[in-house]
This record gives sequence, C-alpha cells and structure tokens, in this order.
Amino acid sequence: MKIFQVALGILAAIGGFVDIGDLVFNVSAGATFGYQLLWVVVIGVVGIIVYSEMCGRVAAVSGKAVFDAVRERLGFRTGLMALVSAQVVNLMTLTAEIGGVAICLQLLSGLPYRWLILLAGVALAIVVWVTSFDWIERIFGYGGLCLLVFAVAAVKLHPAWGAVGHGFVPHMDTESPLLYAYFAVGLLGAAMTPYEVYFYSSGAVEEQWGPKDLGLNKVNAMIGYGLGGFLSFALMIVGGALFLDKGIEPEFLGSITLGAEVPLGQIGLLLALVGILFAVSGAAIDTLFSGAYNLAQFLGWEWGRYRHPSGAPRFTLTWIVLLVLALGAVMTGVDPVQLTEFAVIFSAVAVPLKYKPILLVANDRAYMREYVNTRLANTLGLIYLVLIMIVSVTAVPLLILTNVGQN
Amino acid sequence: MRRLCAAALLVVALTGSNGGTVDSHALKRDAEKVSSLATEGELLANDMAKGASTKYFARVHAKELSVAASDLADALGKRPTSPGIEGDVRKLSRLAAKVSRHLEQLHLHPTSRTVAKSLEQPLTDDADAADELAK
Repeated sequence: MKIFQVALGILAAIGGFVDIGDLVFNVSAGATFGYQLLWVVVIGVVGIIVYSEMCGRVAAVSGKAVFDAVRERLGFRTGLMALVSAQVVNLMTLTAEIGGVAICLQLLSGLPYRWLILLAGVALAIVVWVTSFDWIERIFGYGGLCLLVFAVAAVKLHPAWGAVGHGFVPHMDTESPLLYAYFAVGLLGAAMTPYEVYFYSSGAVEEQWGPKDLGLNKVNAMIGYGLGGFLSFALMIVGGALFLDKGIEPEFLGSITLGAEVPLGQIGLLLALVGILFAVSGAAIDTLFSGAYNLAQFLGWEWGRYRHPSGAPRFTLTWIVLLVLALGAVMTGVDPVQLTEFAVIFSAVAVPLKYKPILLVANDRAYMREYVNTRLANTLGLIYLVLIMIVSVTAVPLLILTNVGQN
Repeated sequence: MRRLCAAALLVVALTGSNGGTVDSHALKRDAEKVSSLATEGELLANDMAKGASTKYFARVHAKELSVAASDLADALGKRPTSPGIEGDVRKLSRLAAKVSRHLEQLHLHPTSRTVAKSLEQPLTDDADAADELAK
C-alpha cells in the first residue's frame, strides 16, 4: 500500500480534527484542568473512527456520500433542517478557519491582518481551482504534520507523566463541574464534528473507492484520526504543563504557539506556525468543499472536484459563493477563535441528524450487500449515537451556564 | 426554523451579556485575566531576551496581548461596580493599563533583547499584583 494513499485520512484528521477550534479547545482544556480531560479525547477519537469508517464503507460500496443518505433516510423536511444546520455551522467554521490562516500568516510575516485575509482567500481559491484533489490532500495533510512539534514540546516540558496517565481514566477533580462538562462536551463535539465526515465520505467518492478499498478505508480512518487524537493529547499536555501552573488562559493562536516556542525556541515556533498554517488551511478547504458537497448531494446536482468545473457548474459556484461569504464575514472583524468555539458547540447540537442516517444506510443490505455493519460496528455506532444525543442536548445550556467557557 | 432563530438569538444574548455591573466574582475573573496577560507577556519577554522568538511573532503577539489588556482597562474603568469594591475595580483598571503599556513596549521593540529583559520583572510584578486582587 502506497503511503500517499492514507493521505485522505490524514488530511481529514489534520484539517478536521486539528483545526483552529481544536487547537484552542485542547490547549485551553489543558490550561484549565491539566490532564484530566485526556479520556474525553480518546472517546472522541474512537467515535470519529467508527463513523468515518462507516461513511467510507458506505461511499465505497454504494457510491453514496453522507447527504445522499440524509436526503434518502430523513425525508425532505428533516433532511432540509439537517442541511441548513450543517451549512450554517460550515460557514461559521470556514470563516473561523480563514481568519486563522490570516492570523498565522500575520504571525509569520507581520503584515496587516485585513490584507492577509484577502491573500488567504485568493490563495485558497487558486489552490482549490488548480490543484487536484490528490495533491490538496498531500500538501495540507503532510504539511500539517509539522504540528508534531507539539508532541516534542510536550515531552520537553517534562509533564508529570503519572498525572498524564491518570488523565486517561475518567475522573473529575474540580470545583467547577459545569466548566468541566462544558469542556468535555466541547472536546467531544470538536472531535466528532460532522464536516470531517462529510469531507471524508465525499473524498472517498472523489477517489472512486470501491469494495477493494475497504482495507484502505479502515487504515485511513484509524491512522488519520489516531494521529489527530495523538496531536490533541500533545496540545492538552502542553496546555497543562506550561499554562496551568502559571495561570495563563490561552486565548490567541499566538498563545498556543508559545507552547512550542518556550521549550524549543525559534525552530519550535516556526514549525508550530507552519503546521498550524497548513492544518487550518486544510480545514478551510475541508469546510469549503463540505458545504458544496452537502448542497449538491442533497439537491442531486453533479458534484466532485475530480470533474472539470464546467462538468459540475453548480457545485463549483457553491464553493465560490461560500468562500466569498466567509471572506466577507471574517472581514467584519469577528474573532476567529471565539467564532470557532460557537461553531463547535452548535455543530454538537446537530450531530445526531447526520450520524443517524449513516448508521441506517450502513445496515441496509440492499445498498451494502455483504458489507453491512458487523455487530461490533453496530454496537459502537449505537453507543456513540446515544452519546452524541446527550452532547447535543447539553451543549447549548452549558454554553450559556459557563458564559462560553468563561465560568 | 423560527424557533431555531429565536433560540440562537437567546444564546447570543445570554452569552454576550458581560458588560453589566462588576461584582466580586467578575472582579476575580478579570483580575485573573490581567494576571494571565501579564504572565504570558513575561513568557514572551523571556523568550525575546534569549533570542528564542522571531521579530514578527513578537511584534504581533505582543500587540494582541496589549490590546486585550487595554480593552479590559477601558471596560473596568467605565463599568458600574457593586458597593464596596469600586476601589479595587479601578485599581485593576489602572493595572491592566500598565500591563498594556508594558506589552506595547515589547510590540514596539520586537528585536531588542535589552528592552525585553528589562520588562520581565515589571510584568511579573504586574501579574503578582493582579493575583492579589483576585484573592
């Protein structure tokens, strides 16, 4: 198996799992609760692996991506609700990611933020227009691997490894249980954010996977999201080891890169900035495509980056419009970091609407033939469906009760 | 859909309402924020003094922190306070303004190790003073 073939999972993981929201959420969780919430990341990673594998399998066997299934299984009205909620959250996330790209470029170049927003928008448009899907995966997926510098930083900060190990066992040692619950819900929501799954399943159709690729699908989901989870651990450990004792609340992208600069100096800082730039750019492309995929699949349009733009004109127009809308929104001066926190919480609210139809289709023999869910996949799928329903019900009350995590 | 929009507006209204009276809880939170900004500034200054940062990062990040401290100073200087804590609130406002000025110096001299070195202790002192107010 060629190493490049796992790029889809790595892009989905780096661009989806470790986007601007995860960077901030994971480091903030570490800075607030130390290593206590590491176990939540494990649960989130397993969940996203379960559902991504299912989506990839459905796409490979039936050629259907997520919103094909949503439209078919939920009917038009409920499907439309799912679509609207997905598009709103996608646009919020895309806005935040473009803002994140501009902040990163500013931290690297010192140039004015608003010019860099435009530069980021134009650069993303050019990349998406001229670069093949395969190369988009490779450039941003592998470029984002520079984020591994946070794993080195975590080790260099000499965390209390016993406490890190204890963090993988669910426990709560805090006077702020609501804030703890808010971070737990946020971390789960961020890990299982649905645009990763839209992108992953549509990407499988883009790459024309068939049943012969089911092994690759498993490897992609496990390695890609496993890597994303590993990076989340590293970020949380950096937050706990560097910021918790000092009482620092990391609110900026620059604060997070300090986590690599302090133990590793300039090289750590530059690798962190480059890694974040690629990861956040990858997330911007994920969300941009996801928005266009969702609409095109729901309305039955021709779609796919593998087609010439004239072969899928409405799909192409959709991503261009989304990009322009997001650029307009970020130019208003909205704080990308705060926006992404809202996006994560709101996406958690609507998650069950997207995962339920996937579970149904993955069990339908008419589509899946001998590739229907195994008993293990169904058990895990059901457990996670219940879990994300709880997350979906509690997300907004916790957002309000903790004043967006400010307690 | 109408219910969804109403819920979204309610959330924004409820979560965005932190511009009211400063009570002792808000004072504690804001003091912790000022301490956080000062401590982060001290970390940055320390790296700059060692030559472990870059010119553009130091300039941009110091400005972000400085603006955040300045915004806090402005808000604390204007907002009404609960009885008995006005003195502490205004004191915290002045402290936040001082932190902002120190961070502004880092922003203006991103390559000067001497300036960075000279600001480490003042920023540590600022953080300690904010911690006192948070108690």
